[in-house]
Amino acid sequence: MSELVLSAWSVVSPYGVGSDPFSEGIGAGRSAVDALDREAWPGPFDRCGLVPDFTAAKYVGKKGTRTMDRVTAIAVTAVGRLLASCGDELTARPEQVGLVLGTGSGSVQSIMDFTRDSLAGERPYHVDPACFPNTVMNRAAGQSAIWHGIKGPNTTVAGGWLTGLLALSYAVRLHRGGHCARVLCGAAEEYSTQRAWLEWHGRGADEQSTPLGEGGAVFLMETAADAHAAGRAPLARILATRFGAYAERADAQQALADCVRSAVRRAGVAPEDIRLVAPLGADGKLGALEESGITDALGAAKPEWIRCRPLLGDTSAASTSLQLAAVLATAGESGLGPGEAALVTGIDRDGTVGCAVLGGADPS
Amino acid sequence: MVYDSDHGPRRVVITGLGAVTSIGLGVTAFLDGLRSGRSGVKPITAFDTTGFAHANGCEVTDFDPAEWIHRVDPAELGRASQFSVAAARMAVEDAGMDLEEFRRRPALVSVGTTDAESRDLDTLVGVQLEDGPEKLPPVMARRAQAGRLSSGIVRELGLTDVEALTIPTACAAGNYAIGSGYDAIREGDVDVALCGGADAVCRKTFTGFYRLGTIAPEVCQPFDKDRKGILTGEGAGILLMESLESAQARGARIYAEVLGYGLNCDAHHPVAPDQDSLARCMEVAHRNAGVKPEDIDFISAHGTGTRANDVTEAGAIRQVFDAPPPTISIKSMIGHSMGAASALASAACALALTEGFIPPTINHRETDPECGLDCVPNEARATELNVVQNNALAFAGNNAVLILGRYREAE
Repeated sequence: MSELVLSAWSVVSPYGVGSDPFSEGIGAGRSAVDALDREAWPGPFDRCGLVPDFTAAKYVGKKGTRTMDRVTAIAVTAVGRLLASCGDELTARPEQVGLVLGTGSGSVQSIMDFTRDSLAGERPYHVDPACFPNTVMNRAAGQSAIWHGIKGPNTTVAGGWLTGLLALSYAVRLHRGGHCARVLCGAAEEYSTQRAWLEWHGRGADEQSTPLGEGGAVFLMETAADAHAAGRAPLARILATRFGAYAERADAQQALADCVRSAVRRAGVAPEDIRLVAPLGADGKLGALEESGITDALGAAKPEWIRCRPLLGDTSAASTSLQLAAVLATAGESGLGPGEAALVTGIDRDGTVGCAVLGGADPS
Repeated sequence: MVYDSDHGPRRVVITGLGAVTSIGLGVTAFLDGLRSGRSGVKPITAFDTTGFAHANGCEVTDFDPAEWIHRVDPAELGRASQFSVAAARMAVEDAGMDLEEFRRRPALVSVGTTDAESRDLDTLVGVQLEDGPEKLPPVMARRAQAGRLSSGIVRELGLTDVEALTIPTACAAGNYAIGSGYDAIREGDVDVALCGGADAVCRKTFTGFYRLGTIAPEVCQPFDKDRKGILTGEGAGILLMESLESAQARGARIYAEVLGYGLNCDAHHPVAPDQDSLARCMEVAHRNAGVKPEDIDFISAHGTGTRANDVTEAGAIRQVFDAPPPTISIKSMIGHSMGAASALASAACALALTEGFIPPTINHRETDPECGLDCVPNEARATELNVVQNNALAFAGNNAVLILGRYREAE
């Protein structure tokens, strides 16, 4: 089976738009969480990892973006920058390019604004019909395809904090099943007042004060042969994804340890080959269980840990995609080296765990 | 795709069905409804419909979550997740698979949806308007997440070796989810998959379609010359899928074989479908499934009953089929159950293959000559079937076409 590689990526993050500010910020370990302009962003939080000065008009353009919501603009921007960095050849056969995009629940702000107009307006149907598609959760993926002319399979994936890993796994299968030649895969999340209130009320006590963040990351997945033919050096091979579940919180550590062991075994790498580990790192108990689970699985290995959450805030559905971007940022422009591997993990509060193992590109 | 010559791709079969619908709960009641052409239409009770000139829908009215959901507190699940979890329970029972045995197998859980828990989001907006955003009930705020539709099944069934994802690819999501399970089993990643879709009627979506002028005042009449639009519906359809080897080893009843599917994206318009692109999606599905147009015995259409959908879909079918087979829409019976729609239609196709009948398109008076299809009006048609096609379209031009075949022992 021809193995898929990651050969290009783009990111929109609290460090700014683009991979350069992201790589610089992650490399320096500098937090991008900052004070929130309370007038523009009312709600329960006063700090946030907001993408600075980000608007659809500024980054997507003024034309056709009047009703474009923030998460859609983040996705359209991230996908657009990825395509621009790869050149026209990538979309020469647009029906052969798939797009798999992770989301939390679409834009809860768009959904709830629409209902509010129905409930608070003079007539229950006094809503803006142009905003209706924003309330459907495939909007960001669909609009990215429309904006950039991507005609292959277009799938939206949701799975809480594990969304990015689940999107990656889905995309690998989509490719292996012969549904497309290349896949753009990632996740996006917006900051909004409504998301903030839902998180504030819905969170457990041990994570309530964690600032929220937003952003998105998109990766180009293709075979190594296709990457080389297009003049792109593979940055990492996708060796394995693995998932599991736990019933009680106390079992989360064991569930993740089993999951990581299994993935590392399937990937055919030794624990000591793992140079980089990027955990989800939830505040409170789950984060501690996650680190212990990883340590249990990797034994005496001494990897470098990349902890995104203190730097970016809780980016919810975009979390694991941004962790993957952080791995590539840390690996540097030529990607993971031969013989090197990296691990991205997550434990979700709804009882699921997951991980991905990446390997250095073949020297050939 | 390159496979080890000794281990070709595995064949994938459907051996269990779970159905929560406005025409019946459970596979037996659903089958009876499909065969007798039952209508699930009634006035909407999910929200206050004051101010709308008309507000019929296809709600599930006799659903008691406690009857199906035992390990998880139903209050921790929104209505769509309750439907999803209940249908998963039904599917496992229907497949006759012991739960302990299920838990030992690597599994995929994949649930499609349009709105996930937007019903809860509607309620939360109401609370905000009454009492302010500081007063949101925590349990509801917590559960109003798309991921819960699939993780709820994991918790209820006590699965541990499992990959669970929700696929919110709107009104084609059920077919997307079934496709993801097919690929995962086919390639040997998992042994068993629970796949389908779920949605609950909500104010937000009813209002959106009403504002677009696409809600029918009384009934849904796909392909009829006097059709007036959709009726919003709800429910869940979950299919238990496994490899043919696994089904044979445990002597399971096989409803149907999943032959393949095709996906594509119009990349053209946010809400209007594209005929050429839909036709291409059907061609892709046929190629992936290894069938020809003339092999298809009937098409379960997306068939929403709007002017635009039905003409575009019929046009795409005529583009692909020299002689279109009977083309029906179960939305005439159960309304448009959004993310559940193509999952329930797949379940209907599986039942049709097993039982040898084509479900009818009810509420039909006169076929629109612009559609010009045999929609099996009003009465189910008994006939032997071998290969059937299930179409699904979604906002943003997300098309998904699934091909199911009758499984024959002698093959």
